[in-house]
Formats: sequence, structure tokens, C-alpha cells
Amino acid sequence: MVDTPLVLPLGEDAMLVRFGATLSQDANLAALRFTRRLDARPITGVVEVVPNLVSVLLRYDRHQIGFQRLAGEVGLLLTARMDETDLAGREHRVQVSFGGETGPDLDEVAERLSLSVEAFVAAHNASRLRVLATGFAPGFVYCGFHPEALHVPRRREVRPHIPAGSVLFAAGQTAIAATDIPTGWHVIGRTQLRNFDPLREPPTLIEAGDGIVFEAER
Amino acid sequence: MSARLVIRRAGPLTTIQDEGRFGMLRHGVSASGPMDRGAFASAAHTLGRAGPAGIEFTSTGIEVEVVAGQCSTGFAGGAFAARLGGRQVEWPGAVPLHEGEVLAINPGRAGNFGYLRFDKTIDVPPVLGSRATNLRAGIGGLEGRALRAGDSLELIESEDADPDGSRVSTGAGAIRFIWGLHAEVFPPAVRERFLSENFRITARMDRMGVWLDDPGGVFRGASGLSLVSDAVVAGDIQIVGDGTPVVLMRDHQPTGGYPRIGTIIAADLDRFAQMRPGTHVRFESVSLAHARSLTAERSV
Repeated sequence: MVDTPLVLPLGEDAMLVRFGATLSQDANLAALRFTRRLDARPITGVVEVVPNLVSVLLRYDRHQIGFQRLAGEVGLLLTARMDETDLAGREHRVQVSFGGETGPDLDEVAERLSLSVEAFVAAHNASRLRVLATGFAPGFVYCGFHPEALHVPRRREVRPHIPAGSVLFAAGQTAIAATDIPTGWHVIGRTQLRNFDPLREPPTLIEAGDGIVFEAER
Repeated sequence: MSARLVIRRAGPLTTIQDEGRFGMLRHGVSASGPMDRGAFASAAHTLGRAGPAGIEFTSTGIEVEVVAGQCSTGFAGGAFAARLGGRQVEWPGAVPLHEGEVLAINPGRAGNFGYLRFDKTIDVPPVLGSRATNLRAGIGGLEGRALRAGDSLELIESEDADPDGSRVSTGAGAIRFIWGLHAEVFPPAVRERFLSENFRITARMDRMGVWLDDPGGVFRGASGLSLVSDAVVAGDIQIVGDGTPVVLMRDHQPTGGYPRIGTIIAADLDRFAQMRPGTHVRFESVSLAHARSLTAERSV
């Protein structure tokens, strides 16, 4: 796989295997690849495997395995020769209503990038993105990466409450809120998609590694 | 035989909890569960046999009435004052509740969280495998929300009733932690002062986190650190943008982007959750192996 990741305890029942200190394509793909390996070849005593942006969290049962032995197993799995299964997950097309009342920051984002709103939406929807991780809130997915030319920082101020379905844009990524949340990202649109339903099993439809194509709703 | 319980009075953030909703982090849902896991287990232990879910109440206490049927309830956590009818009952303890009887739990001299367990199951539907209320996600418990006066709960015969061992939070003194994910981003001088200075619990506390006062200014100027968002666990001590230390509790976000200097060990997190606003707290670092041995001692 890639460079030796950092393996460290997160409290007494969890281990974090981290592939980078900053978010990059390589670190994110390494985390995804390692998650796939863990799913394909589970380690006894590991009760939960969670891919994050640049790391994988392993929760384990301390009665079945200790940190040192788990670190050993993780080392073996990282270096094992395995037929890599295809990393690509499912494909999703996400219809978005851009701008207007439900996308109050669209104009500002386009202006900041010196693009017309139409040109920004076209550029935003041009690339197929990958779901980098689920995190922050139920069903909240980070999708990336947009080309450098589309990167804008987050807003200076946090909005305390934006509704489920909001489509968010910042730092080279687009995120989809599945529940009502606070956010410092630019709110550029709204989708009907709700990637969290507690009465569904599993409760989310989209997961890390899936492909995402955004489309403007007609 | 079933029973119906009506909440006559409830403080803010009174919720139905069980052991927790584990295994859902991939979907962005943290486990929830009791703020004081030991007390939750002790309340069941006083009964000998309890349903998987109970009521977590906060420092102002709770009042419940059995309006139909009968049940037994066990209670523990902190030091509250319990009265059945007009009669004072020992805390922690257990009492049978007959139709028409009112159990009043009033504020006591210690603790933020207390628990009621029953010899029956609280009949709310499990959501993603658990009855625990997650207020952040709005799921579990009664309609995903906190309980309030007037709510009515059905208690039905318990499907599974394994009594947990009694695990009372013991010990005093410093709260012990393991150095965390981002300990290295804090300069050595800050790390040293983190161990030597006093912090104070503030009134800003809920099931998601406990905000601390930092009168020594240990983390003053430590803001502005921008990190990639990463996995969070209960007990993580994070330093938010303005330099305030916040300990993340059971309804924590599944991931977070603030630097985390350490994680409070399992053996001390219950005791920490019970510390009232104004309490002084010091932190002491321990190794993972040491934390393990302390937790093992406590679970016997």
C-alpha cells in the first residue's frame, strides 16, 4: 500500500490508522483501500470499522484483542499481498436545485471565482466526484475533489441551522447535509435526496468510495 | 403484567437510554448511551433484574406516577433525595411502585445524572438496534426527543433482563486521560501546564459536551489550528476555536476538526460526567496499559 501510516490509540477501545495529517487524494484513497481490506479480511475482536477522510477507526473488544496485538494484525494487513478489489463503489446521480432561497451563497461563490452563475454550476457538475467519507452528522457526506480552480475557503461565519438536503461547497469539496445542521460551508443548493433514514437498514444510501455526479434540477 | 408510567415533572435533557447504539459510526451516528454508565448499571443491580432501557434524569430530578398496573424501579447515580408517597427512601435503592403511587426524586448533594431502571422494558421501538435517545440525531427514545411532563410510557414484560454488575464510579482527585490524536500539535510547555493547572466545570454541559473554564489560560492563543476532520470518541478533550477546552460526551459528533489533546479513560469518564458546574478539575496522564488495568479493576 502507501507509506507507513500512523497507528495510535483513541481512548481504550479504539485504534486510529491515519494515512496523512492533511487531506489529499492519496491519503483518502489509502484509507478507503485499507477499509476494503478490513471488510474483506476481518480481524477477530474488531467490532467496528469506520473510514474517515484520511484515516480508519477500528473499535475493538478489549476482552478479545489488545492494542499491541491489533497493531500487529493491522501491520500485516497493510503489507499483505492482496488482489485489490475494485475501489469504486456505486454510482449516484444527485439532482440539485442550485441558488435561490435554498442556495443563498451561490452568487457569492460564483463571483469569488469570477464566473457567471451558469458557468460555475456547469463547472461544479462537470467532474465525477468520489464520496471521501461520511462524518460530522448522520448521513453527511464529503464529496471531492473539484479542480484547484474551483477552490474557495469556508465562510467566515457559521450558520447555526441549515435544513436537511442542503448542498454545501468549500475547500474543493461538495457536501450533502442529510439532517438539519450548523455549517460554515457555502450553501449553494438543495437536493431532495436524504442520505439518512433511521427506519431504513442500512440507514444511509451513499457511502465512502461511491461515485457522485451532480446535476441541475430542471 | 404491564404498567403505565406518567412523567409528572422532568428536568431538561431527561432521556431514555440503554447501553448504546453501537456500530453506526459509518453512517455518522454516535453511540449515545448513559452519561454515567456505572450508575446506569448500578440502578439495574439494585433490582437484580432490569429491562434494557432506563430513564436518565438531570440535576433537578424527576417525578413519575404509575397510573396503571405495577412495577419495580431501581435508582442510582449521584446523590439525589427520593420520596415515595410522603416517605423518604434510601439512595441508591429500589422500590415497588403500585398503581397511583408517585416517586419523587429531588435534587441532592451531588451529581448531574441519575437513573431509573425498571423490572420491565420501556415500550419504545428500538431504532437502529437501540432505544437510546440521540438528541443530536433526533432518534431513539420517545420520538427522538427529551422526556417532559405529561409523557406517558408503557412498561411491558422484559424480553432480556441480564443484570449488569454494579460499577459505581469511585475515586477522587485528578481525572486521568491518555494523550490524544493531536497532542503533538500543542507545544511541550502547553502540555506541561495542562497537567499542572486547575480547570473548572461550567454550566454549559449537555449530552454532547462539557465546556471547561481555563482560568490559567493554558490554551489561550492555541486557537486557529486547522486540522483535517477525524474520528471522535467519548471522553475526547478538544480545544475549540477560542481556546476553550470541551470534553466530548455520549452524543458527540462522529468526527470533528478541532485538535484533541487527550481522551479521558473509561474508569474516570463517569465520575467526570457527575462533576457539577463550579467543580475544579485537574488532569493526569496515564498510559494505555495503565488505563486498561484501572478499567478492569472497576468491572469486577
